[in-house]
Amino acid sequence: MTLLQRLRAQPNSAAEWFARVRSGRLEPRDDEAWDEWMGADARNAQSYENVELAWELAEELRDRPLIEGMLRDVELSSTQRRADSAQRRAGAAKDWAFGLPWRTGAAAAALVLICAAAVFVATRPNVDVYATEVGQQRTVTLADNSTIALNTATQVRVRYSRALRRIDIVNGEAVFTVAHDANRPFEVHALRGTTTAVGTEFDVQISGETTAVSVLEGTVTVRPTEGRQDGGATQISAGQAVEYKDGAASAIRAADAGKVRGWLAQRIVFSNVALAAALTDYNRYIKTPIVLGDPNLGAKHINGVFRMGDERAFLDALEQGLHLTATATPTGTVLQPR
Amino acid sequence: MVETPSTEQHDDESAQAQSQRDYVAQLFSRHRESLHRYLARLVRFDDAAELVQETYYRLLRHGGTVRLEAMARAFLFHTATNLARDHRRRRLTHRADQHMPLDTQEIGQDHLGPDEQLAGEQTLSVIESAIAALPSDTRTVFLLHRFRDLSYPQIAEMMNLSTRTVARKMAEALERLGTVVKAAI
Repeated sequence: MTLLQRLRAQPNSAAEWFARVRSGRLEPRDDEAWDEWMGADARNAQSYENVELAWELAEELRDRPLIEGMLRDVELSSTQRRADSAQRRAGAAKDWAFGLPWRTGAAAAALVLICAAAVFVATRPNVDVYATEVGQQRTVTLADNSTIALNTATQVRVRYSRALRRIDIVNGEAVFTVAHDANRPFEVHALRGTTTAVGTEFDVQISGETTAVSVLEGTVTVRPTEGRQDGGATQISAGQAVEYKDGAASAIRAADAGKVRGWLAQRIVFSNVALAAALTDYNRYIKTPIVLGDPNLGAKHINGVFRMGDERAFLDALEQGLHLTATATPTGTVLQPR
Repeated sequence: MVETPSTEQHDDESAQAQSQRDYVAQLFSRHRESLHRYLARLVRFDDAAELVQETYYRLLRHGGTVRLEAMARAFLFHTATNLARDHRRRRLTHRADQHMPLDTQEIGQDHLGPDEQLAGEQTLSVIESAIAALPSDTRTVFLLHRFRDLSYPQIAEMMNLSTRTVARKMAEALERLGTVVKAAI
């Protein structure tokens, strides 16, 4: 096929045709070819309907948190790219963002904020930053089809190069489902320690000074110190977990896979957990914390599966199960013995 | 001599209206079957026929025509989709009027109730997941075109790709979503 023929090549599937029609550059000649294609086979019109339906139904998703989150990421990373090249060109650039037909003035205003944040968060090129707020969750798919599920109040940075897939967890918790690529290790950096995988699924959680790594599938190598030396490296497999703090790793323990699978399904799971620890965990998901009015209550143990975002149900369970009363105050919900 | 120009204008208008009617009629004769099948996936089969008719009248009243068939069809299906959405909302209101119990917990959540949307929650979340699972660049192209109304050249400039590549990635995204929708609804 010559270059000219390739340039003239007509779309060959419903999706290709639909994309061509939406290009805004449809020529009468293309339109005739479209008509011919639609009539050529009854199945063509039917698959075209599927694409039309997908396109129209997508409109219903516009205001959903997941879509809004993905759009924010897109705008964040492209603003970043722009900021980077603008920096290189030492301020010679006019900001593209304001030349585009953004939906509303509010969007433009939000973009200014994002712009400022992006420059603040990361000024290196090709770094994508993904974040969730308190109570929010989000799953992102990376260029190699690996995914990151971000739990509440989490921030990660993603930097892919030819030799390495590097993720930095700045704070919070995330589950990584890693696409297999033997030539490009997948490294998760958290609090100066590194977890390395090739193709697997695992959870990394930062709480305070401690990082916990739990493996759901496959095997990972955890190094509690910076650098690549193998000293202190621990290998853990599916169902196992390890914690590290200040350059030292704990003994291997059983992973609480139910808890991880739970949060991936918007459930907070406690199996025989001391109330004090359970509240620390639960408070990650809410803006106003639940606190103990009496420290002795912290030793009571609880069990249960709680839906994220339904704090009332959680408090009801505590009130009834542990005979407590919950009182809302401006600084937090206080639990007292009844 | 005042009446002559006004009569001429009137003739012009009616000629225009006639040509518009012919155009819409022709458009419908070619796409009616497809449109009916499409609408029947969004509303009950009986209601779909009614909505085809409603779309027809809506287009007659609309005036302006697009001379490219493919663009005209896009407008036709878009109009029909909006009517289907209104139809589902009306049905919901109707149901509420009859004091049918609604699952308030469902309605009270972040999103609209199931009947206020064009399709069931399950279908929509399948599409949502499919978007999330698209390869990164393909997803970006789709999101910017679909939800930010950016043109291919604008996206191309923003992502440092050729317009041709943007079109290809749009096609990839649509291929995937079309497949998902085919299985779901």
